[in-house]
Amino acid sequence: MVLRESTLMKLQYVTAVAALVLVALHLLMQGVLFPYSTALSFQHVLSVYRSWIDGSMLEILLVVVVSHGFNGLRIILLEWRQSKAWTSWVNAGTLLAVGIALLYGTRTVVLAVTGAVG
Amino acid sequence: MKAEERAVNKRGILGWINPLHYNIERWAYVFQRVTGVGILLYVLGHLGDTSFFVGGPLGTGPNPGSWAGDLAVTENIIGHTILTLTVLIVVFHGLNGIRLILAEYGVIFQKPTRIEYPYKAKGLRTMQRHLIWVAIVAAILAALYTGSILFG
Repeated sequence: MVLRESTLMKLQYVTAVAALVLVALHLLMQGVLFPYSTALSFQHVLSVYRSWIDGSMLEILLVVVVSHGFNGLRIILLEWRQSKAWTSWVNAGTLLAVGIALLYGTRTVVLAVTGAVG
Repeated sequence: MKAEERAVNKRGILGWINPLHYNIERWAYVFQRVTGVGILLYVLGHLGDTSFFVGGPLGTGPNPGSWAGDLAVTENIIGHTILTLTVLIVVFHGLNGIRLILAEYGVIFQKPTRIEYPYKAKGLRTMQRHLIWVAIVAAILAALYTGSILFG
């Protein structure tokens, strides 16, 4: 499936607004709603991952920020140079990078939720 | 236009490469991209950093020892400085990005008017310019607040 550039640009804007809200919440939880030292303690982080709402928010934040970030980099690279081959390489590289980052980030969330505490 | 006025206004090739001749919108455009790349690098580092909560790339589950080791590396003056700078660029990127979306959909774009010398971009005045300053001031305030938490 090939997405049109206009569709990708709309996706960029939707993820931008979503990221703004989610990053704001994430930052508030890291030092405003909870003291910074508490927010980083092992038990607190574990409880965040294992809470349905907070854990889901972290996974959604991962998807939103990674897709917005790499699509933004793709836009910069396509503004920088233009050719059919370059566009294909950049698009393929972006998809690959998004896939790897999502897999690695999701692995952390899944292991934090389901793994036995070592 | 008088010949003397033309001579004063003429910048030549140096005018092209002198960044001081950019207007604030051009600087906002440059910083939106620079901060975007910076945030992406931070996000990738953060993905690697937080994976040590489950023991790193080869881990199998939540690991207090691995997490303590990670915090020992990141919780210092360098790590806190990086976090403070990240908040600075994230807030600027986010608010300036909202300005760009509003401009893209014509919400804050002024009506086009006749082009007249000295060729200032009229569509980029008032509201847009104010929003750039809002983004800059909010970013500085957020960074100062973050700094007060991390270094206070």
